Amino acid sequence: MVSGMMKPYIWLETSDGSIQQVEQEIAMYCPLICKEIIQKGMGSSKNCAICLPQRVSPATLSLILDYCRFHQVPGRSNKERKSYDEKFVRMDTKRLCELTSAADSLQLKPLVDLTSRALARIIEGKSPEEIREIFHLPDDLTEEVNGQNIRHPDSEADIIAETSISHTENVFPHKEFDDGDIDDGIDPALKEKIDRYKSKPYVFGNHFEHREVEDFARRLNSDWPERMQELLSSGQERKTRLFSPNGNSFLRRNACMFFHCL
Amino acid sequence: MRPKLAYSFPEEVLEHVFSFIECDKDRGSISLVCKSWYEIERWCRRRVFVGNCYAVSPATVVNRFPKVRSITIKGKPHFADFNLVPEGWGAYVGPWIKAMAAAYPWLQEIRLKRMVVTDECLELIAKSFKNFGVLVLTSCEGFTTDGLAAIAAHCSEVEDICGHWLSHFPDSYTSLVSLNISCLGNEVNLSALERLTLRLNRAVPLDKLANLLRGAPQLVELGTGAYTSEMRPEVFSNLAEAFAGCRQLKSLSGFWDVLPSYLPAVYPICSNLTSLNMSYATIQSPDLIKLVSQCENLQRLWVLDYIEDAGLEVIAASCKDLRELRVFPSDPFGLEPNVALTEQGLVSVSEGCSKLQSVLYFCRQMSNVALLTIARNRPNMTRFRLCIIEPQVPDYLTQDPLDAGFGAIVEHCKDLRRLSLSGLLTDRVFEYIGTYGKKLEMLSVAFAGDSDLGLHHVLSGCDNLRKLEIRDCPFGDKALLANAAKLETMRSLWMSSCLVSYGACKLLGQKMPMLNVEVIDERGPPDSRPDNSPVEKLYIYRTVSGPRLDMPGYVWRMEDDSALRIS
Repeated sequence: MVSGMMKPYIWLETSDGSIQQVEQEIAMYCPLICKEIIQKGMGSSKNCAICLPQRVSPATLSLILDYCRFHQVPGRSNKERKSYDEKFVRMDTKRLCELTSAADSLQLKPLVDLTSRALARIIEGKSPEEIREIFHLPDDLTEEVNGQNIRHPDSEADIIAETSISHTENVFPHKEFDDGDIDDGIDPALKEKIDRYKSKPYVFGNHFEHREVEDFARRLNSDWPERMQELLSSGQERKTRLFSPNGNSFLRRNACMFFHCL
Repeated sequence: MRPKLAYSFPEEVLEHVFSFIECDKDRGSISLVCKSWYEIERWCRRRVFVGNCYAVSPATVVNRFPKVRSITIKGKPHFADFNLVPEGWGAYVGPWIKAMAAAYPWLQEIRLKRMVVTDECLELIAKSFKNFGVLVLTSCEGFTTDGLAAIAAHCSEVEDICGHWLSHFPDSYTSLVSLNISCLGNEVNLSALERLTLRLNRAVPLDKLANLLRGAPQLVELGTGAYTSEMRPEVFSNLAEAFAGCRQLKSLSGFWDVLPSYLPAVYPICSNLTSLNMSYATIQSPDLIKLVSQCENLQRLWVLDYIEDAGLEVIAASCKDLRELRVFPSDPFGLEPNVALTEQGLVSVSEGCSKLQSVLYFCRQMSNVALLTIARNRPNMTRFRLCIIEPQVPDYLTQDPLDAGFGAIVEHCKDLRRLSLSGLLTDRVFEYIGTYGKKLEMLSVAFAGDSDLGLHHVLSGCDNLRKLEIRDCPFGDKALLANAAKLETMRSLWMSSCLVSYGACKLLGQKMPMLNVEVIDERGPPDSRPDNSPVEKLYIYRTVSGPRLDMPGYVWRMEDDSALRIS
C-alpha cells in the first residue's frame, strides 16, 4: 500500500460484538484477516467489519495486534525478534491458552508456535495432578475409554513413560539436534541442512566398537581360561564366598569378577 | 456430563502443543491427565521407549499408539553382558517386528539393545517399512551378514543414503561376522552424503583410509581401521593431509594397534574433536598425552589406563569442556599394577573439569578422602561408576571400608542417577545411599554389605530407583518381602548368588500379580530342593502383559494366586 500521510485502517469485530479500527498493514499480518480483505473485500468500513472467530476476545486481539505490530516491521534482527518473543509469552496460563487458541483461529502460525512452545514448557516436568490443576481439567481417567477400562493406567503409563537410564551411551549424530528446541541460535542455513539430513536413512551396526564396558568384558572373558590356569597354578588366594565351584559355571562366573561393580 | 473446561482448545491445537513435548516421562504425564488428553496423546505419540520387552506386549503398544515412527526396545538384563544370563534366556524381537510390520507401515527407526535379532527379523524389517531410516543394534545377537545385507540392500534403493557403516565384530564372538569395507569400496559415492559416520573394519589399511578421507571431507565421525604397518613417510603425509581436510570431524574412535608415529597425522583436527575413543589403542603415556592435550574441546573421552595419573592431570588442565570420562584397565588380570594410575588421576580431573558429569573409572586403589574430594569438587556428577579391580578392597590409607567415601558421593551429588559400587563396603554405605540417593535410578552392587538391612535401606530410601542389580551379597528374604510393593515401582531387580530362598520367591510371586518373579536355576527344578534353599539367580520385573510364554527350561516363573485359582 502507499505509505504516506494516509494510513489505511480496517474494521474488525470481536466475539463480544464490539468493533474496532486497526491499521491495515498490522492486521494483515494475520492470514485469516488478510484473506477476508483480499478475497472477500471485507473490513473497509464499520458496516462490513470482518467478523473474527469466536475464540478472539478483545483482550486477546489486543495482544495479537501488539505481536503483529512488532513483527511486521521488516528491519528487525533475529535476535531482537527472539528477545521480544521471550518477553511476550510471559503471562498467566489462562491468557496463554486463550492466546494460543485465538492465534490458531487467525492462522497466525508463528504465534501459534510461540505460544504452544510456551505451554509445552509449562507442562514439562509436572505431574498429572499439577497439570490438571493448572488447566482445570477433570480427573476422569478411571472411567471407561473406548468401551474398555484402562487396566492399571498408572503401571502401564509408568512402563511406557520410562526414559532411558543410559542416556548418552550411544552416539547418534542426529540425536544431537533432536531436542526440539529452536531457541538455540542455530544458523537457519545449517538448520535446513540438518533437517534434510534427518529425513535420510541411516544404518548403524552393532556398537561393540564403542568399547562399552560390556564389550570389554566379553573380550576379556574369552581370554579367561588361560588366565585362570595361570592364576590357579600361582596359588593366588581369592575370597570364595557365595559361589559353588562347579566346572564351567565357576569359570564363567569368575570371569566377571573384575567387573563385579558394574 | 463433563464439567465445562475452563481452558478449552481444539484438538489440533493441543496436539500441536504436545508436539513440542518429547520426553517420555512428560508424555506419560500428559496421558494421565484426563480422558481427552489420553486420547489425543496416544494418537500423536511418535516415539516409544520400552525399557523391558516383557513389561508390555507388542499388541498393547501398537493398539495404544497407532502412529509411532520410532521405537526403542531393550531386552536382557544388564548383567547378561557379564555372562550371568545363560543362553536362550529370551528377549526375542520377532513378535515385536511382526506386530509393527502390520501396524506401522511408516515406521522410521528401530533401536534395540540386548535382544535376539534373527536374519528373518532383519529381512522383515527391510521389506515392511517403506520409510525406514535408522536401525541401531546394541549388544544384540542372532543375526549374520545375510540379514544385514537385506537391510543394506533396502537402503541402497533409496536415493539419498546418508550413512554407511561397517562394524568390527570381536573375533571371539562367533555369532557375528566381520564385514569388509572392500565390498563397498569404490562404488560408494561418499561426497553426496550430507553428514557421514564411518566406522571402518579393522582390516582397512592406511592408504585406503587416506583415500576415503579425501573423498569425504564432510566426515563427522570416524572409526579408523588398524594402523599397524611400518612407518612409511609417504603414507603418513598422505594421511595427515587427508585428515587436515576433514574440517567437520567431531568424533574419532578405532585406532586398533596404532603405531605412535602415525598419531601426529590427526593433530590438525584435534581441536575440533568433541569425542575421542582411544580405548582400543595400546599406545603409552607420552604419545597418548600429546594427542589428548591438543583436544581442547573434548567432551567425551574413553581411554585405557595407559593415560596414567600424569596424563589425567594434563587432561584436567587442557580439556575444560570434558563431560564424560571412561578409563579402562589395560591389564585387569595382572596381579601387580602395570601403570601409574591411581585414585589421584580421577581427583585431578574432578578438580580441573568443572563440567564432568559421567565417570567410569577402573583402578586398583581408592581412599575415602579421595572420594570425598571428588564429591566436593563435582556435585554436578550424574553417573558415577567406580571399579576397583580387586573385590572388597578397603581404603588403602586407613584400611577402613569405603562407606564414607561413597556416602560423600551420594550426599554431595544430589542429581546422581547412576551409581556402581566397589571395594570393601558394609551396610553403612547402603544407609547413606538410602538417605541421600533420592534421584538415583540405577544401582549396581557386588560383594558388598553385611545383612538384609543393606538392601532394606536402598529399597526403602531411594525414591526414584528403577533398576537394581546385585550379585554376591548377603541379602536374603527379609528386605525383599518387606519392600515388595517397591518392586512394582521399579523396572527390574536382579539378584544372583545372594541368599534369597525359593520360598520367598514363591511368596512374592503369589502376592504380587503385577510382577513376574523369575527364578533362573541351572541346577534343575527349584521344587526339588527345600523351600529355604537359596536360588541361583532371581529376576523380578513389573509387567502389564502377564507371564511370558517363551521361557527356557532353566527359568521358573513364580505363579500368582489368580493363576493357581484357575488351574
